[in-house]
Amino acid sequence: MALLKGTLDVLVLKTLSWGPMHGVEITAWLESRSDGKIDVTDAALLQALHRLEERELIAAEWAITDHGRRARYYRLTSAGRARLRAESTALIDHVKTLTAILTARSAET
Amino acid sequence: MSPQRDRDRDAFRAGVRRLFKLPLFTRAAARADADAELDAFLAERIDRLVLGGLTPADARAEALRRLGSPEADARLVLRRSAQRRQRHQWLRQAAADLREDLRIAVRRFAHSPAFTATALLTLAFGIGANTAIFSAVHGLLLAPLAFPNGNRIVMPMQENDRYRGDSRFERRNMAGALIEAWQQRTHTVEDIAAASEDMFSLDADGTIDTLTSAVVTVNFLPMLGVEPLVGRGFSPGDVVRHGPPNVAVISEALWRQSYAGRSDIVGRTVTLDGRPLAIIGVAPAGLNIPLSHKTPPDMWVPGALTDAVDGGTGSLDISPSVFALLRPGVSVDVASRELESIAAGVPHAAGLGGRLRVMRAQDFVNAGETRALEVLFAAVGALLLISCATVANLLLARAWTRQREFAIRGALGAGRRRLARQVLTESMSLAVAGGLLGIGVAGLTLRVIAALRPPGLDRLADVHIEPAVLLWTLVVSVLTGLSFGCAPAFFAGLHPVGDVLRREMRGGSAGVTSRRVRSTLVVLQIAASLALLVASGLLVRSFAALQRMPLGFEPRGLLYADVLIAGTREQRGTIRDEIIRHLQSLRDVTGVSIGVMPGKGWLGGGVEAEIDPEGHTADVPALGTIMMSPGYLRVARIPLLAGRLPDSTSFSSLGPAGWSSEVLVNRALARRLWPAGRAIGAHLREKPFPGRPPAPWSTVVGVTSDTRIPGESGDVAAYQVYTIDRLVSEVPFVVRTTMSGDDAAPIVKRAITAVDPHIFARPILSGDTYLRDGLAPTRFAMSLLTAFGVVALALAAIGLSGVIAYSVSQRTREIGIRLALGADPSRVVRHVVSGGLGLVALGIALGAAAALAATRALSSMLYGVGAADPPTFVAIALLVGAIALVASYVPARRALRIDPAETLRAD
Repeated sequence: MALLKGTLDVLVLKTLSWGPMHGVEITAWLESRSDGKIDVTDAALLQALHRLEERELIAAEWAITDHGRRARYYRLTSAGRARLRAESTALIDHVKTLTAILTARSAET
Repeated sequence: MSPQRDRDRDAFRAGVRRLFKLPLFTRAAARADADAELDAFLAERIDRLVLGGLTPADARAEALRRLGSPEADARLVLRRSAQRRQRHQWLRQAAADLREDLRIAVRRFAHSPAFTATALLTLAFGIGANTAIFSAVHGLLLAPLAFPNGNRIVMPMQENDRYRGDSRFERRNMAGALIEAWQQRTHTVEDIAAASEDMFSLDADGTIDTLTSAVVTVNFLPMLGVEPLVGRGFSPGDVVRHGPPNVAVISEALWRQSYAGRSDIVGRTVTLDGRPLAIIGVAPAGLNIPLSHKTPPDMWVPGALTDAVDGGTGSLDISPSVFALLRPGVSVDVASRELESIAAGVPHAAGLGGRLRVMRAQDFVNAGETRALEVLFAAVGALLLISCATVANLLLARAWTRQREFAIRGALGAGRRRLARQVLTESMSLAVAGGLLGIGVAGLTLRVIAALRPPGLDRLADVHIEPAVLLWTLVVSVLTGLSFGCAPAFFAGLHPVGDVLRREMRGGSAGVTSRRVRSTLVVLQIAASLALLVASGLLVRSFAALQRMPLGFEPRGLLYADVLIAGTREQRGTIRDEIIRHLQSLRDVTGVSIGVMPGKGWLGGGVEAEIDPEGHTADVPALGTIMMSPGYLRVARIPLLAGRLPDSTSFSSLGPAGWSSEVLVNRALARRLWPAGRAIGAHLREKPFPGRPPAPWSTVVGVTSDTRIPGESGDVAAYQVYTIDRLVSEVPFVVRTTMSGDDAAPIVKRAITAVDPHIFARPILSGDTYLRDGLAPTRFAMSLLTAFGVVALALAAIGLSGVIAYSVSQRTREIGIRLALGADPSRVVRHVVSGGLGLVALGIALGAAAALAATRALSSMLYGVGAADPPTFVAIALLVGAIALVASYVPARRALRIDPAETLRAD
C-alpha cells in the first residue's frame, strides 16, 4: 500500500510513542501492526527519521541493544508528542470524512 | 499524561544500555555518525534475517533490497542530514557562547572605567579624525569635474617662465588668431571654447550682492555637456559684436536664492553694469569649472573672441581661459603636441612668449591645494600611529595585570580555547565600540570643518565621509585593538600556569618580551608625537611670520571701488573729478586716488626694456600694469624708494591707449631689468600685440617698493609698472579711511552713486576683508594642525603616563622593601623615575630625526623659519620630556605613601 504523503512521519511518531526504538524495530512494528500492508523502503524510513530529528520532534542517542549490538535509538521529544496528537487527530478526521463520502449509499444525504 | 508515565515510556527496554551521547561537533563526526547508523541498521536487519533462516549472503542481499535505493545514495542522504544538524547545533552553541562572553566582557569593562573610557576615546579619535580629514582631502583633491565631458576637457596655456608653477599667472592672452588656427587645423580636438570672468552686482530687494559672472563663447556650455535646467543655452545670435551682451544664463544657486526658484524665470532681467539683460535659461549647480573664482559663476553671458584691446565688458580679449574638448580616445600628450605645432605656424601667435602647455582641467582645479593637503595627510598618519600605539599600550598593560587571573582560571580547568575566545570577544567589542564612536566623531568633525572652512574652499561644504577611507582607518584601528587585546591569551600561552602564580607571589619583574614590546610602543609614541608637534610648531610660526610680512601697502582702512562712467570724454572727466571731490569731503576719508587694490585689477602684459645705452633690449613676459594718479602711492601707503612721482599730465602722444610717458617700476622689476641699478631714466614700453605697431618708449622716473597679495608667501614679488591713468570708461578708485574698510564700504558707495545716477559702481572691496580672506586658508591649516598637535600631545601623554604609571605600580613591592630597609624616599623616587627616562630620551632622539625629515618635506610651506629651527625642536623636546617626568613622578610619589608593611603583606 502506498502511503499518502506525510503519513509516514506521523506513523513513526506513533510508533515511538511506546518508547525509544531503533530503526529496524520501528519498521518491524509498523509491518506487524499493518499485517504487512504498509511497505516502506528502509531508505525512506531512515530519511523520515532524520527529517523528524532535524525538526527536533524526535531525539537520537546511541545505545547497546540486548543483543550486544550498537544501535541508534530514537525517542519522542515533548514537541514531538504534541505534534503526534495534533497530526493524528487531523488525519483521523480526514479519513473519517473520506470514508463517509466513499461509503455513501445514495446521492442524497 | 502524567510525568511518570512519560518517563516510563521513555525508558529503554530491559537490557538496553545507554552510551554517552556523542555530540556532533564536527563535520567529520557528523559523517561518522551517519555512516555508523546505516551500518548498524543494516547489521541489525541482516541479524534478524539470519535468525529467520537465511544464509548470511542472502540476508545481506535481502537487506540491501529492502533498503529501497542504492546503498551509496542512502549513505549520502544520511550524511547530509547529519551535517545539517551539526551545523545548526554549532550555530546555536556559538550564539550562546557569544552572548555569555559579551556579558562577561561588558562587566569587566564596567569594572575598569578609566581604562575603558581612555581606550574608547583614543580609538574614536584616531579613527574619527583620520576619516574626517581624509574624506575632506579626498573631496577637495580628487573631486571630478561635475559635468559630463569633464575628463576630456583640457586647458591650453602659455607657460610663463617668470611664473612657472604658479598657475594663476599662467593663463595668458590667447590671440584670437591662434584659436582660429587651432579650430581650423586640429584633428585631435573636437571643439574649443573660451571663458573669462567678471564681477557684477545684483540689486535684490535693495541689498547689493557681489556676484561673479563669466563671459563665454557660445559653444562653451554645450562643449562641457551641460544642459540648462530651465530655458535654453546660448546660440550664435545671442552674441553682440563690439558691445555688451543683452542675454544671460543664471546659475541654479542664484535662481533659487534671489528669484526663489520661480518657474517664470525666463524673460526676467538681471542687471550687468547698469544695463538689463534678459535671462534666457538656468544652468545646473555645481559647475566647478577652473576659472579663477573658486566657485561656479553666478551668471553666464555670451561673448565673442576679438582682438580688440579695450573692448570693455562682454568681450573675451582680456586673458580668457581657453578650454578644448579632446576627441574621445585622444590623450593629452598627443593633443598637446598637435596644438603646439599648429601654434608654431601662426605668425606672432606667441604673443607674450612662453611655451604652450596643455593641462587637464581636472588637474588645474586641484593644483593649488595639493601641497597643503599632503601635509595634512602626513599629520593624520602620525595621529593614527599615535592613537594605535596608545591603545596598544593600554591593552598590553591590562593584559599583564590579568595574567594571574587567566593562570588561575586555566588551572581550574577552563579550556584554553574558551579563554582565548573570551579574550577575543572582549577585544572585538572594544574595537567595534571604538569604531562606531569613531564614525560618530568623523561625522561631527566633518561638519565642524565645513562650518569653519575658509572662503575659497567652499567645496568643503559638500564633503562627506568617504567609505573607502572609513574602511581603511577602521581596519587599521580594529586590527590594532584586536591584536593587542589578544595579548592576555598570548601571555597565557607563553608561561606555564605554575610559573605565573609563583612569580606573582614573589612579585618579581615583568616578563622580558612584554616589557620590550611596551617600551617599543612608548618610544614610537613619543617619536611620532614629537614629529607632529614640531611640524605644527613650525607651521604656526610660519603663519605668524606671514601675517607680519610686509605687504608693501596697507590694506586696513583701504577701499577699492571700480566705477563705470558713461558719456563723452569730457563728461567722464567731470564726473570723475566730482567723485573725487565728493569722496574727499567725507568725514573719515583721508585720501582718494585713482588706482587699484594691489593684487586686484592688475592688467597683464609683457614689457620690453632698454637695458643699456647701446640699445639692447630685454623682455619680461608677465607684468602687472597699474593705472594710477600720482597720489596713489600715498593713499595706498606704498613707499617710493628712489626717484620721483610721474607728472600727472605726462601722457604719451599715442592717445587713449598705452602708458604715460613717465612711469614707475617696482623694485623687483628694476632689479630684474637693470641689476646694475640704472633703473631711473631707463626706457621701457609695453610689448606690442601681434600685428600692432610698437608703442613709444616711456621713461622710468622712480622705483617703488614691492607689493604682495595677502596670504601669498614666497620671496619673489610680481613685476609692476605704475602709469598715469588714462581716462577710459572704467575708473578704479582707492580710498583711505580712518574707519575699517568694512564699515566704510557702504558710505563710499553711496557717495559715489550720489554723484550721478548713471554711474555704475562695482562692489566695493574692503582691504580688511581682502586681508582676512587672503590669510584665511593658511590660518585654517594652522588651526587644524594645532588641533592635531594638541590631540597628539594628549594621546601621547595618556599612553605614556599609563605605561609608566603601570610599571611603577608594579614596583610597589620593591619600593616597599627598600623603604622598609631604610632607604631615603627621595632616592627611591629618583631611582624609579630614572628608569623611564631612558625610553623617553630614545623616543625624543628618534622623534627629532623623524621631525627633521618631515619638515624638510614641508620646507616649501615654511616662511621665516627654517626646517631645522632649533628653538622649536628644543622647546617641544623639553615639553615631551616634562610630560614623561610628571608621568613617572606622580605614581612614584603615590607609592611612597603606601605603608611598606602593606605592600609586603598584600598578595
